[in-house]
Amino acid sequence: MRPGRFGVGARRCAGRRALRWFAGALGIILLAAAIPVLAADATSGPSAGSTPRLATVDWGLAQDLIAMGVTPLAVGQTSGYETWVGQPKLPPGTHNLGLRSQPNLELLSQLDPDRILITGMYAALKPKLAAVAPVTTVDVYFTPGPVWDKTVAAAKKLGRITHRPQAAQALIQRTEEAVRHAAQRLPDDVAPLLVIQFSDAQHVYVFGRGSLIGATLQRMGLTNAWQGETSRWGSAQIPLSRLASVQTGRVVVMGPIPVGLRQRLAHNRLWQSLATVRNAPVVYIPGVWSFGGLPSASRFARLVTAALRSAPASGPGWPEQTERSS
Amino acid sequence: MNAGTLVTPARLCGTIALIVIGLAVAALHAVAGSDGFGVLTSRAGPDVHQILVHYSWLPRLTVSLIGGAGLALAGVLMQQTLRNPLASPTTLGVATGAQVALLAATLFAPWLLGYGRSAIAFVGGALAVALVFALAWRRGLAPTVLVLAGLVVNLYLGAVSLALILLNQEKLHGLMIWGAGSLAQDNWADVIDLAPRLAITGIGAVVLARALALLDLDELNARNLGVSLAWLRLASLGLGVFITASIVSDLGVIGFIGLAAPAVVRLAGARTLGARLLWAPVFGALLLAATDLLLQLISGSNAALIPTGATTAALGAPLLLWLVPRLSAARSAPRPTAPPPIPRRAAPWRLIGGGMLALAGMIIVALFAGRGLHGWNAPFALPWSETGVWRAPRVLAAGAAGALLALAGTIIQRVSGNPMASPEVLGVSAGTGMGLLALIWFVPGASTPALLGAGTAGALATLVVLIAINARSRFEPEQLLLTGIAVMFAFDAIQRIVLAGNDPRTQSMLAWVSGSTYFVTMHTAVLITAVGAVLVALAWPLGRWLDVLPLGESVSRALGLHVTISRLALLALVAVLTAAATLIVGPLSFVGLLAPHLARLSGLARARTQMAGAMVFGALLMIAADWVGREILFPVELPAGLVATLIGGSYFMWRLRRI
Repeated sequence: MRPGRFGVGARRCAGRRALRWFAGALGIILLAAAIPVLAADATSGPSAGSTPRLATVDWGLAQDLIAMGVTPLAVGQTSGYETWVGQPKLPPGTHNLGLRSQPNLELLSQLDPDRILITGMYAALKPKLAAVAPVTTVDVYFTPGPVWDKTVAAAKKLGRITHRPQAAQALIQRTEEAVRHAAQRLPDDVAPLLVIQFSDAQHVYVFGRGSLIGATLQRMGLTNAWQGETSRWGSAQIPLSRLASVQTGRVVVMGPIPVGLRQRLAHNRLWQSLATVRNAPVVYIPGVWSFGGLPSASRFARLVTAALRSAPASGPGWPEQTERSS
Repeated sequence: MNAGTLVTPARLCGTIALIVIGLAVAALHAVAGSDGFGVLTSRAGPDVHQILVHYSWLPRLTVSLIGGAGLALAGVLMQQTLRNPLASPTTLGVATGAQVALLAATLFAPWLLGYGRSAIAFVGGALAVALVFALAWRRGLAPTVLVLAGLVVNLYLGAVSLALILLNQEKLHGLMIWGAGSLAQDNWADVIDLAPRLAITGIGAVVLARALALLDLDELNARNLGVSLAWLRLASLGLGVFITASIVSDLGVIGFIGLAAPAVVRLAGARTLGARLLWAPVFGALLLAATDLLLQLISGSNAALIPTGATTAALGAPLLLWLVPRLSAARSAPRPTAPPPIPRRAAPWRLIGGGMLALAGMIIVALFAGRGLHGWNAPFALPWSETGVWRAPRVLAAGAAGALLALAGTIIQRVSGNPMASPEVLGVSAGTGMGLLALIWFVPGASTPALLGAGTAGALATLVVLIAINARSRFEPEQLLLTGIAVMFAFDAIQRIVLAGNDPRTQSMLAWVSGSTYFVTMHTAVLITAVGAVLVALAWPLGRWLDVLPLGESVSRALGLHVTISRLALLALVAVLTAAATLIVGPLSFVGLLAPHLARLSGLARARTQMAGAMVFGALLMIAADWVGREILFPVELPAGLVATLIGGSYFMWRLRRI
């Protein structure tokens, strides 16, 4: 560009015209959008049937619903549910709502649920979802109190919402029974347990008091070896070296296990010298959805007992004696 | 500078070395109990404290020294070769390339991880840099083009990463710890791997040093002295990339050190390249070691992981902001060469009109075409209340945001005369993102209005910082961009820390930060359009300033322009435009960089035609991106900002070959 070319005036007229076009285009969208917005206010009220058709973004709530015999109409990220939650299985025909943090609103309004369930985590979604159907918050981790009581209270609330209080009560009893049964079948003198989940070869989540895992251990009459600080969700994310401060206890590794982890642990002198690893053989259990509902609790209790029963109670923790699937 | 002879590189490094020793003693006692030195000197036995010291603490200290030195060395090489005081070891895409490779391998070919994480990361990083080199090859690896190509590739791969994480958060969280650069060690493998590589790089740098010093001259003189610039650049950058890729692969993404260490030693008096090559690695090593030791001491009993790499970058941001004015003053680099002129189009408004027709067509598609419960629907098969009522606010908001960002980008590129300037690079959108992040982190489950408020507050705070730091230089454009890049680094770092934490908050954070139109209501959409219309009306009369300012400060003043006032006014306008748009499409949209270039490359040379053309392109791109994002993985939605980056980035890379 050279200084000689400053005459802008000639183009001014054309500029105005373009601007008008642009304004016109925006006006058309505005108009197109506004009319139906005004017209769409007449929506149907909640239907009076027995079991309402429910949509939920949260996997924990979905677990509880399915365990109560209620088929959710739609759940967020169903493929993720299958991978990470697993049990109980999603009933066939459950629709996928898309991302849990952004459930698909078009799909949701086409499905036309009677009610949408969220947890405290998804509060920002409420105004959007409320335009489709009434929204109810069934929360665990944003409410003060012991996590077990809150998880039970959430199941009861789901019972009221689905008009099936007796199914909720049955689920609660079934869960408590399963945990008690698992506790009875535990081997004698189980050491305090250190439940960890590997993020990568050098970092783990460890589950403490405020987690559903920790609460289940407590109800089984077991001691949690991790007494350190935890987050709102009851876990702590730490490098392996921090586990050195835990003097007594036995390690329970919860799946899924990162690729190549076992080979790395086999050469990891730090891991092998941890008191908790040397005390007793490390126990591996499959993954449990740790932010889940009551089915996660009974699943965890069952898996821990099974793993402890089939593992040698004492002896050197290293080398690992058996390879179990996870 | 004003510290004069009081501060020398040697004294500076000596002071930090003392700090490192003090911290190391404290940390050793924290790890090994009371008898730290006894444990350190005894042979490693079965005792857990001895193992901790010899297999975790000591390798970690060593690796932090090696990593810091390597990154600082790479930083010196990059800054010298790219003639840019804010070039860093990751400017050319090493870290993002490594990250995408690791994410993709974990998701699609987990068996590859059997070959080791480092190998995959290294290959990914190398491929990304190869792409950057290929894009800049035709221009002889000219620094401006390299930096621009690196920026584009970084943004592009960053968007790919974010999309993969958004869709597979649980599966990928282990990698996020790597992405935040935790230095935790459990053996000496990384030390053994990195130490010889650092030595090779050091030797290479010494060999190249004399030729590289010639780059302090301008390009023409250097060439006259018989230096093959392209090969010299390739050798120097290749060396920097090699050590960076090695460190990133083994240790993860560590920000700030490679950028700050060369700059600090330069300010401390290391004026020659030789002095910088010596002192920057020493300083970088000590700086990373000090930070890592300090964080180990602090993290003590914390429930959340404090990853060293990202935390260093976040903590370093204020220092970087402090450095910026001093750096620009001390800079000896010649101004980047302007991009070659593009032939002017004879009938610009015809092109813009055509763009508007395309825009109208895209709006119709975005409103009426879409998938539903049973696959693709005929346009009017479903009632408006189940389709259009959701789509209309998003289309409007995406279009408005795209146009506003494009306008902001045009203005900032013209004011700064810098083709890599964009509203994203100004830091205002990063500020908005940080506001959102802070609220989601500390008040999880916050409502939408609160989030919008937090975003606005973040944008305003950034603007205040920008003005405060740049007032003295009378808003000299290059310094302005350096400030913005410092803010962007901080945002990137904080985002990495949050991702490494991987608790349920991460979900909401990704949803807001990656730029989805999901949360837009008709109210917000109309509001943003109205605000946008006012801002466009304000910008239009400033077209003459924008025609004059790119000609440089002295020409502008000779033509009767008050440079400081016009820059401040335009800067404020850009900031408001960006903040308004970022609240809707997130801080990563890329449109502000891309649309002005598209307009320029299609021959819209005048300020007003470029503004109008860029706005049309910007709106078109955002609406298209929003639509594609909604439909391509239905019912899963990809955020418009991410898709815009992917579409725009691909096109931009294709065009870049021909710049």
